[in-house]
Amino acid sequence: MGGGAPRSLLYAAVVAVGLIATMAGPVVAAPGEVSLQDVIDAADPGDIVTLTAGTYDGGITIDKPLTLVGEGWPVIDGGGEGSVVTVVAPDVTIRGVVIANSGNRLDRENSGITSDLSPRLRIIDNRFQNVLFGMFLRHAHGAEIRDNEIGGMDLFIARRGDGIRIWQTTDAVVEGNHVANGRDSVFWFADRVTVRNNHVEDGRYGLHFMYSDDAFVEGNVLENNSVGAFLMYSTDLTMTGNVFRSNRGPSGYGLGLKDVDGLTASGNRFVENRVGLYADNSPSKVDLYHHLESNVFAFNNIGVLLGSTVARNVFTGNAFIDNSVQVASDSTGGLLDNEWSYEGVGNHWSDFAGFDADSDGIGDIAYQIDNLFTDLIERYPEMAFFSGTPAAQAVDMASKTFPSLRPEPILTDDSPLIRIPAFPPAPMTTEATSGLVVLVASLGLLLAALVVMAGGRFRFSDRIVLGGTT
Amino acid sequence: MTAAVGAPTVPRTFELRLVSVIARKVIREASRDRWFWLYCAGFAALAGAITVTAVPDQNLIGSGGFGRTAASLVALVQLVVPLMALTLGARYLAGERDSGTLVFLLCHPVSRTEVLLGTYVGLAGSMFAAVTTGFGAAGLFSALRSAPTDPVLLVSLAALSWLLSLAMLGIGLLISSTVRSASTALGMALFVWLSVVFLGDLGVMGTVVATRLPVSALFATVMVNPVEAFRLASVVALDGSLDALGPAGTYAVDRFGDGIANIALGVMAAWTVSAVGAAVLAFRRGDQT
Amino acid sequence: MIRVEHLTKAYRRKVVVDDLSFSVGGGEAVALWGPNGAGKTTVIRCLLGLVGYEGLIEVGGLDVSTHSKSTRGLIGYVPQELGFYGDLTVAETLALSCDLRGLARSRIGEVIEAVSLEAESGKRVAELSGGMRQRLGMAVALLPDPPVLLLDEPTSSLDVTARRRMVSLLDSLRGPERVLVITSHRVEEVGMLVDRVLALDAGRLVHECPPGELTGRLNLESWLHVVLPSSQTAGALAHLTAAGYDAHENGHGVLVGVSPEDKVSALGCLREGDFEIMDFEVWR
Repeated sequence: MGGGAPRSLLYAAVVAVGLIATMAGPVVAAPGEVSLQDVIDAADPGDIVTLTAGTYDGGITIDKPLTLVGEGWPVIDGGGEGSVVTVVAPDVTIRGVVIANSGNRLDRENSGITSDLSPRLRIIDNRFQNVLFGMFLRHAHGAEIRDNEIGGMDLFIARRGDGIRIWQTTDAVVEGNHVANGRDSVFWFADRVTVRNNHVEDGRYGLHFMYSDDAFVEGNVLENNSVGAFLMYSTDLTMTGNVFRSNRGPSGYGLGLKDVDGLTASGNRFVENRVGLYADNSPSKVDLYHHLESNVFAFNNIGVLLGSTVARNVFTGNAFIDNSVQVASDSTGGLLDNEWSYEGVGNHWSDFAGFDADSDGIGDIAYQIDNLFTDLIERYPEMAFFSGTPAAQAVDMASKTFPSLRPEPILTDDSPLIRIPAFPPAPMTTEATSGLVVLVASLGLLLAALVVMAGGRFRFSDRIVLGGTT
Repeated sequence: MTAAVGAPTVPRTFELRLVSVIARKVIREASRDRWFWLYCAGFAALAGAITVTAVPDQNLIGSGGFGRTAASLVALVQLVVPLMALTLGARYLAGERDSGTLVFLLCHPVSRTEVLLGTYVGLAGSMFAAVTTGFGAAGLFSALRSAPTDPVLLVSLAALSWLLSLAMLGIGLLISSTVRSASTALGMALFVWLSVVFLGDLGVMGTVVATRLPVSALFATVMVNPVEAFRLASVVALDGSLDALGPAGTYAVDRFGDGIANIALGVMAAWTVSAVGAAVLAFRRGDQT
Repeated sequence: MIRVEHLTKAYRRKVVVDDLSFSVGGGEAVALWGPNGAGKTTVIRCLLGLVGYEGLIEVGGLDVSTHSKSTRGLIGYVPQELGFYGDLTVAETLALSCDLRGLARSRIGEVIEAVSLEAESGKRVAELSGGMRQRLGMAVALLPDPPVLLLDEPTSSLDVTARRRMVSLLDSLRGPERVLVITSHRVEEVGMLVDRVLALDAGRLVHECPPGELTGRLNLESWLHVVLPSSQTAGALAHLTAAGYDAHENGHGVLVGVSPEDKVSALGCLREGDFEIMDFEVWR
């Protein structure tokens, strides 16, 4: 069944359905008696089917190369059953439509658009509303997913589907999409994928790579997810200029790496995550080094967390700014098998207490992490409960004052950078709250203070009648 | 309203009106008290300084960054608000006793309960003003620098800080109504401050190291402390959960889920009610005029 | 109006008031007299219900131990050491007192006039002199037009002029419907004001009598200092001693022990001996 628009209204809107059954050419469909499926079935391969505004029944299957173009945001409504659009043909383009109301069965992977054997599928500038999975693409080599607005279902996170799931698909381009309230955006066996300038928020894994090699991930903003991006069992990944912000799940990371080999990460921002960057067994190959260069780790509970056996990561030119714990190991023992400066260039550390007498921009003494409290957390993880308390600060202060309390340093940067290095501008997506609202809230607080204080002040001065004085 | 006209005007046992009269008097006293304004100004200056220094170059981190500012504000509140509220409460009745104004109040047809509750409400109003001044200043600096700010979070943190001050004021007044000398009261207030801010946590930390305290016991022990209850409620307001706080945080999330904030509020409320209750009992018992 | 029976009050086992009983009826003015530490102020505090005690106190027929809030409504109290909020003005202090009593503020002008503080009504209490503060204390006590006035050493901190004015003010406050209880350690002031004196010593009631009888009951001795030409001192001394007086040489004259009822006879004795009395005064 179609959407909620009354039939009579749709009748009125009926335009003759032109079925030009000759050559590849424009077909115009309007909501009405003839179903969208019929229109598609009647179209020839290579036709451009234009949907005018209105609601069309979903559950359609496209089994030939076809371009579906919406004008005035027509809605294809799945009616809460199954997938809304199924593509099983190469060279299909879907553009400018609203894809709404899929079923909600995780086991059936009910989706907005699902596809199989659909190379060069192009999904461009569509809106996905109340769908379990946004799109689930299989064998869609060279697919292009661009500028879509994907909103999931309002379900508990484990019951949600993925905003974007790509399976066995090489050379896909995922660019400029906004994914909100999904579960994950997953790339399985998706070699040479390009993920650029997407904004993924309020999900579980903003990006999830499994066995996807040679990916290029650039300029994405991944915020308020449980994990910004989790890359697993993949090789030769390039991550540049991404923003990982406020990913704070129970074991949440901005960027998590597991068994990744050949990572290049530069120009990324890790801000206000529980853990900015987490690496486990990455790189796994003993002859491989990972260069993490010119990234910003700011305001995370832990800036960088490395598994105890992790080695051969080279940190250079990064800025570590006011992370509660700048760098930590997930168990006791140092991080000495990783490099914290490279060719005389270390990192900027906001808590570096050294000096630079020769003004070469490099600190004259090494930067070391030897906080007693951090050390205690590594030994007794329960201690993390006290992170940021005055008592924890007192513990650190005590160990600074009494060197005998100072633990072995977990890392040493021999060439700490005095100044924050220059970075290209970070992409911004979160709309800053209007300064006016903040101003009003602040003035409201101050006014409340005045009102309370005035409540006492004016009480005794008024209504005192002095009789009899002349 | 059909009050019997001409009924004998024997005062009722408890009159809210008197609580209000005394509270207004206390607020007026505070508004004339140099120390109080020094506290307020200091708190506002520190809170303002945090918003000015904690917010970094937006080019560097993209948008956002208020979380860090808010966390710094929480740390500031943890130190300053208990100190303010405890000393304010502990000094107040002792000061009234020393200046003889307590006798002035008590020789009126006013019960000791009314005097104590009025004092408490008045001090609570004064702390409200102090807290809102601080957070208002922080927000104002933020707004003037167009720094990213979450006004809802700002107001929630102000409210939590005030709740913390209510509990601390209760303890301060309890000290004030049991101890006669103003200097002893001040000393006790400082000791309590040291305990709730540092010693309590350090003690639990030591126990963790010595006995590997189970996380459930750790969470329960820490939660008893009103300052920690404030911190955990603030962390929930900031992060939505306690997941960043290690195994004990995860335990709390698993065990209590969204109830953590309510537990924290409950702890502060329980301290407030029991401390004020005990203060009333102690003050009623006293021959101390 | 006031009934006290077997009142006993101890602070940490130190008995301050010991089995005290008395009552004061309508229109009466009584003095609680005694040296410092006799327990006068404690009795006042018990009457106000500010402290716990053993025994029975009734004010206006109500038991103070259970209805102290109500009984305080019947009492105007002027403490010995006046505590005011220094930042409030005179009028504001009275307004606060009105609010605490639930009274309309219309009486403020009246009591300010009664204690002659019209010119100071807008002044902060901290700026008042001791005498003005004492009068403000009176104004606060008079505000509810109370049937019972308790005055703890109302004149102790005043100079001679202020003391005279206070005494006459207190005198004017006496009335058939009002009870005055005044504590004092000065017999002569008490004598001018009250109908009855309750003499306390170490918390016990030692005498209860009209003020005129008090000095006699207490066997008080006064000293008469008589100034004489220095040539006559030795003679006067001998003359007085011979007449049975307890006389001593002192500076410009002699000091004679006399009973309070009979201060004049010693002078007569000197007159008889033709000594030249240049001046005299009574010392206590």
